[in-house]
Amino acid sequence: MSVRRDFWSIYREALPILFVALGGGLFAGLVLEELVESIQRFPGLFVMIPVFLATRGNVYGALGGRIASGLHQGLIEPRFDWSDRLVNAVLASFINGIGISVVIGFLTWVVLEWVLRWEAVAALSELVGIMLVAGVLTSFVMIAGLLAIIFAGYRYGYDPDNLVGPIVTTLGDIFGMLFMLFAVLLVGAIL
Amino acid sequence: MVVPQGSLGTWDWKSIVGNMFPLLVVLSLIVLWAGVTLEAAEEGLETFAILAVMVPTMVDMGGNLGAILSSRLSTRFHLGTTELDPRDRVLWANVAAILALAATIFTALAIGAAAIDHVLFDATVGFGPLLLISLVSGMSVAVIAIVFSFAATYGSYRLGIDPDDTTIPIVTNVVDVFGMVIFIGVSRAVLGF
Repeated sequence: MSVRRDFWSIYREALPILFVALGGGLFAGLVLEELVESIQRFPGLFVMIPVFLATRGNVYGALGGRIASGLHQGLIEPRFDWSDRLVNAVLASFINGIGISVVIGFLTWVVLEWVLRWEAVAALSELVGIMLVAGVLTSFVMIAGLLAIIFAGYRYGYDPDNLVGPIVTTLGDIFGMLFMLFAVLLVGAIL
Repeated sequence: MVVPQGSLGTWDWKSIVGNMFPLLVVLSLIVLWAGVTLEAAEEGLETFAILAVMVPTMVDMGGNLGAILSSRLSTRFHLGTTELDPRDRVLWANVAAILALAATIFTALAIGAAAIDHVLFDATVGFGPLLLISLVSGMSVAVIAIVFSFAATYGSYRLGIDPDDTTIPIVTNVVDVFGMVIFIGVSRAVLGF
């Protein structure tokens, strides 16, 4: 009897979150479909997309988890202020989020050009430029949005632990792809 | 610059970046494989536009399932309520719930994708093949997510590493890669590109 109860409690807890993630994922997919034509212009672009999406989860999931623990332990207050802990956590996320984006552009170019020896790869400056623009814009929206939602949710009595996962996946997919599209258009126009 | 010692502890930005950045680089290299698979399927993505729409969900959902199971398993290990005994029926409830969630969510993905395919792309693929692609790749990823979650949580527990810190990001990213690679493979087999 308890096995059946456990089964349903896990299923019921997780399903709404996964549906939110599914909705965000499908919207992000529509944006990604807009990018398919750009592969000709920037060969290697699609190699970076899963990596870019996956790192959003790593960097901002870690920030969300840290903020959630900090709230639980009473180490930080649920509002935007200049407390040392919040400033350090946010600064670290900017550095990690923007830094890894640039590294992804660089690694993709190195692997495609030197390891897999593809015939046509976009210029290093193009791949790094796209990742830099997308990484900077995403980090601002993700950090501000994540903190705003966690703080508001916490004040209204939601456990921040349950909010972080779905917020990061959904916001990360949607804004990650939107800013990637913007970055591709921008770099295509400039370089 | 004088860094206040002790008071900030693990909240110091240098220690956060120093701990995380090397892991992020390693994970990026792992997931790069998924990206190479994706770009190699470019022709298929151009012919069957709906496949591109399904990509972010396929990248994320396996990792989501792995994360749910891993964090539940690591909590149980922390609380000392499990020894990974195959007779532990709560473990089987967890596994069954993950499989049921996967079946539900990947059926929903096929329905959503078929609706978008119908409205935007003149139903190039159709519901049947989309359901087949979504369920076969989705359930395979769910099984991989379960195996990896158990192995990583148990392994890190045995090695004395807190699974919350490192193994969950590793499991979710590795499962993301499998999700992508399996999705493209199954799509190729079903649609023949």
